[in-house]
Amino acid sequence: MRAITPKELSTAMSRQLANYNLSDDVIKSLAERVTIEGLFLGRFNPCIYGICIDYFTDKIPNLATLTIKQKVAKWEVFPYGIIEWDRFHVQVAFNVDELGGKVGGLPAGGFGH
Amino acid sequence: MMRSGFLPDRIIHLHPTRLCNLACLHCYSESNPQQRAALDPEVLSSALAALRSEGYAQVSLSGGEPLVYAPLRTVVERSRALGYRVTMISNGLLVTERMDDVLAQLDGIAISFDGLEETHNALRGRPDAFRRACAAIEHLASKGFPVAAAISLARDSIPELPDLAELLVTLGARGLQVRPVARAGRARSLDDAKFYSAIDRARLYLVVRALQQELGDDVRVHCDLAPTIGLWEQRDDYAGLLGECGTVCVEDRPLADLINPLVITDAGTLKPIAYDFSPRYNVGSIDALSLDTLREYKRRDLPQLQELIGGAVAGLQNARDFVDWFDHCTRLSERHLGPAMALAESS
Repeated sequence: MRAITPKELSTAMSRQLANYNLSDDVIKSLAERVTIEGLFLGRFNPCIYGICIDYFTDKIPNLATLTIKQKVAKWEVFPYGIIEWDRFHVQVAFNVDELGGKVGGLPAGGFGH
Repeated sequence: MMRSGFLPDRIIHLHPTRLCNLACLHCYSESNPQQRAALDPEVLSSALAALRSEGYAQVSLSGGEPLVYAPLRTVVERSRALGYRVTMISNGLLVTERMDDVLAQLDGIAISFDGLEETHNALRGRPDAFRRACAAIEHLASKGFPVAAAISLARDSIPELPDLAELLVTLGARGLQVRPVARAGRARSLDDAKFYSAIDRARLYLVVRALQQELGDDVRVHCDLAPTIGLWEQRDDYAGLLGECGTVCVEDRPLADLINPLVITDAGTLKPIAYDFSPRYNVGSIDALSLDTLREYKRRDLPQLQELIGGAVAGLQNARDFVDWFDHCTRLSERHLGPAMALAESS
């Protein structure tokens, strides 16, 4: 069985979000989680946890703002350093059970790995 | 250069006429085929020259339908000669080879959409409106013109967005600008179900973010909704309008640092931010535009706009919402409510 491509996964996500399949409560909690004080939203990817988001900031990230958010599966901070001194990339993975990292019942990462 | 009003450029929204070949049910400017008023291109050109020296860099043509404005070619040529970048939003019905010479002079053109075919045609009151808007995208893309789609969605049309986006990109659109339908003009008579709650705004914002990822870097996807947290963090964009005097007092600052976007209506009225912004904040008229009249406006009338926008910016600090900022300010201008109260009320 072939793996689900990232494009198929994100297509499924835009349709799931648009089609009112997700309840207002899920949308509300998701919206609360994607907006984090001090961090500018970059990419917004479906991933095995639910949603992984890339944020950018020109200040040293205040990680306390992440820990108070519910269902953070993991986060990584990448300082751009010599490329751009005052720029940090923060990647946060949120558990979103309703998206579940699945498309049509298949796991997001497919079965190839 | 310092940003002004949350925008990357200093923009004039020019509505040279409200004459339109459609009479859309949600039209914020209430344009239709019966409108006859149109701006004199000579008066308009003089005003655009004065506003260029006030720091504006882009003219965004809207209407009515700009392609039915007879002096369009003249206005576009003169705007370009003044150094403006010129863009246009059109319903696409008249985007044909006959207009290619004027379309070729534009830095960008957006065709407006309201949803998939049935929804779009119902709101536009014309059975071929969607087909012809799609044909316009195809035509512009085939000529290599920079074409985008401006998508205005009623609440119940959100589910149509992914399919619409996919279709428009397939036809050649290189950008998508998505916004909720505004409760303005003729749209005020639409059913309440067409308008957004706070959750609906969050939903639309998330759908657009997912589309950005889906469509990749070749297509620019923009949502007019923004998280209030993010806007609050960018509040320095209003330093021109709201900042302390410092070395340059407000009266000496160029108008584009204070008001962005600036609107020119089909009646020649200069307004801040949006076509339907309350008349009590009008800047003046293109007939009487001069350094003296602008200086007088900045001295006498600008403080009430500063108060309105200052309050709206302050209201962002504790709000946790997604807002269409310019529409939010426009609604505040009509209601004269305290901004923090209005933001809470809108959610």
